[in-house]
Amino acid sequence: MKLLIGQILPYITVTLFTLGVLYRLGRWVGPRIVHNITLSPWPKTNTEVAVRIGAEAFLFRNLFRFDKALWAGAILMHFALLNIIGGHVVGFGFLGEQFALIPGLGISPELSREMSDMLGTVFGLVLFVTLLYLLFRRLTLTHVRQVSKISDNLWLIYLTVLVGVGDIMRLFNSVHVEYVEVRDYIVALALFQPVTGMHLLDNYFFLTHFLLVQILLIVFPYSKLMHIFGMFAERWIVNRVYKDPAPGLPNVDVAAARRAGIGVPSGDAAEEGV
Amino acid sequence: MPEYKGMVQPVRATPEELRKIFVEPVPDEQKPEKALEYLDNIRKKFRSFVVAMESCVKCGQCAENCHTYLGTRDPNNIPANRAELIRKIYRRYFTLEGRWFGKLAGAEDISLDVIEQWYSYFYQCSQCRRCAHVCPFGIDTCEVTFIGRQLLHWLGITPKLHANTGGGMEKTGNHMTLPKPGIVDTLEFMSEEIMDIFGVEVEFPVDKPNSDILYIPSSADFMLNEYTLMGAGMFFTYIGANWTIPSTVTEAGNFGFLFDQYYTQRGNVNKLLNAAHELGVKKIVWGECGHGWRAAKMYIPSMADRPVRWPLTHIHDEVADLIRKGELKLNPEKNSQPVTLHDPCNYVRACGLNDNMRTIIHAVTTDFREMTPHGTDNFCCGGGSGILFDDPEMYQRRIQLSQKKADQVRATGVGSEGNGILCAPCSICKAQLYPMVEEHELGVEVKGLIDLVGKALVWK
Repeated sequence: MKLLIGQILPYITVTLFTLGVLYRLGRWVGPRIVHNITLSPWPKTNTEVAVRIGAEAFLFRNLFRFDKALWAGAILMHFALLNIIGGHVVGFGFLGEQFALIPGLGISPELSREMSDMLGTVFGLVLFVTLLYLLFRRLTLTHVRQVSKISDNLWLIYLTVLVGVGDIMRLFNSVHVEYVEVRDYIVALALFQPVTGMHLLDNYFFLTHFLLVQILLIVFPYSKLMHIFGMFAERWIVNRVYKDPAPGLPNVDVAAARRAGIGVPSGDAAEEGV
Repeated sequence: MPEYKGMVQPVRATPEELRKIFVEPVPDEQKPEKALEYLDNIRKKFRSFVVAMESCVKCGQCAENCHTYLGTRDPNNIPANRAELIRKIYRRYFTLEGRWFGKLAGAEDISLDVIEQWYSYFYQCSQCRRCAHVCPFGIDTCEVTFIGRQLLHWLGITPKLHANTGGGMEKTGNHMTLPKPGIVDTLEFMSEEIMDIFGVEVEFPVDKPNSDILYIPSSADFMLNEYTLMGAGMFFTYIGANWTIPSTVTEAGNFGFLFDQYYTQRGNVNKLLNAAHELGVKKIVWGECGHGWRAAKMYIPSMADRPVRWPLTHIHDEVADLIRKGELKLNPEKNSQPVTLHDPCNYVRACGLNDNMRTIIHAVTTDFREMTPHGTDNFCCGGGSGILFDDPEMYQRRIQLSQKKADQVRATGVGSEGNGILCAPCSICKAQLYPMVEEHELGVEVKGLIDLVGKALVWK
């Protein structure tokens, strides 16, 4: 088990994930943007395009405009997720001392570790709760239930379990994992060294968490999770710069036409002295 | 019978009608197999379609923002689900997850029933782009229903209305099948009307060589919205333009856009360019027609079979420009009734006409009241994409689809005295709203925007 999940599977996961995502993106690049379907009012410069797409990608502008309850759940969930993914990288990479490395703040390594612990726990819980909120929404609101497929609910449950196991390792000392253990493990994997003897892999919560993540990454390219790329691919089509042709009619002089009284019957013109 | 297993469907074109627009209907038993073949072919061409198929997360935001779902509460009329009707087939045959996991991944085998579902629900979509406008990713259901309708057309399933409209264009150069003598007669009659009502002399030049401006009116303006065409004629006369209407293309609309972009729409585009070439014009100006203006402005560049030498603008662009320059003398008192503006979807979400329409309406009316929501957030009239079906079942559906619009108009209060004006500057909106304002008893008269301009022009 340890050999399979901890030693062999990670290499398979990384390979399948990378190839899978590339395959999927390749499928989108083949077909072309045939007609101009940019949504109006149009951005007039590339800066405007970037601002528009950025507002959608990072602030969820449309959700905010049209459904505040969904917006609150979605942005909290994604924000927590982003921080957790980032936290995994810097937390394990710098052993929790990442904040001490920011110059000018005067944060000590001890304080940084505490901050890292606290932020990780808070975002872990926020993510857990917001995932449940989104699941609750899927199950209770009529129109969302009507668009939901089994797989939509399964993904939320899957993520909730995955995050829940992670949270348990944070909250209970008996199954707690030290940063350094994970760092050494990842380094060993990267150097193709044997890892099965490591103490870390005796922790079944860690093994479960790690297995769930790997399954997720393998399935990722064939799932709705691809929307992280799909969102940009779609926006790239519907939010583009467009410039209107200039108005103005050829050989038209309105003032001259009015002086000449075009359209005004000649009898009238005489009466009115036009 | 326009119903199939409980689903409403428009009356179909007969095989003879389809052959007139160069389509040979596929026999029923071959339809599923052919549908897959056509779908496989087209999915490899349109990225907008592929990304729509593969990116939706079913957040449900589109549901309450679609007038079709609001009016019918039919789950298949939620944009995400409407696209799902084709997505489930796409998954089953063209994705790994669908082939491996089947139902769990939301995949389904193709069958005649699925094709009939497409016919029912893709022709209840107005292609108004409100779902694209509100979608957090910008997924455009239009791109799905365009392709769905194209596949159906190739299979030989096309509404009678759309096929005959396409056929009319093929035969006479307009959707109403008006021959050239009829057009010339109607225009002469309009000149007399203008003299009687407004006391000004307006001529409508047809096929005048060496004109500067080619004006493309909607063919419905010859029969149903005559004040729009009269308004345009008065405007061009007022500014002293050297303009003409081409008898080969007396049609601002392009129904090909709505059911057959490959042949019918492209054919109409090139017919227009031929007319511009033959008459030696310098600029093309478009009349009031929502889908037609989108099909022209946004699609001519990618559909033309030659370099396009003629700049293309909408008559609203030109009127608004002259208003801003202070060159038109307008008396808004001529339109003193309460007025509200219905924003045609194609104008505001696909063609950027939002501001120009408002520049004009503020200049030509005294009591203008905005609807809520309006501009880019506006809801469709319920007839968008030409779903103006008259048989009893579909007509009932049209009343449901216009429910949201009726609520919006009522909320403005313009019709409370029974003398309001609902300005809807698009031929399909007008055709949908003429009967719908009666069905919903809104107390308003439906008018175009150029109608109001014509009325407000001060000639002396």
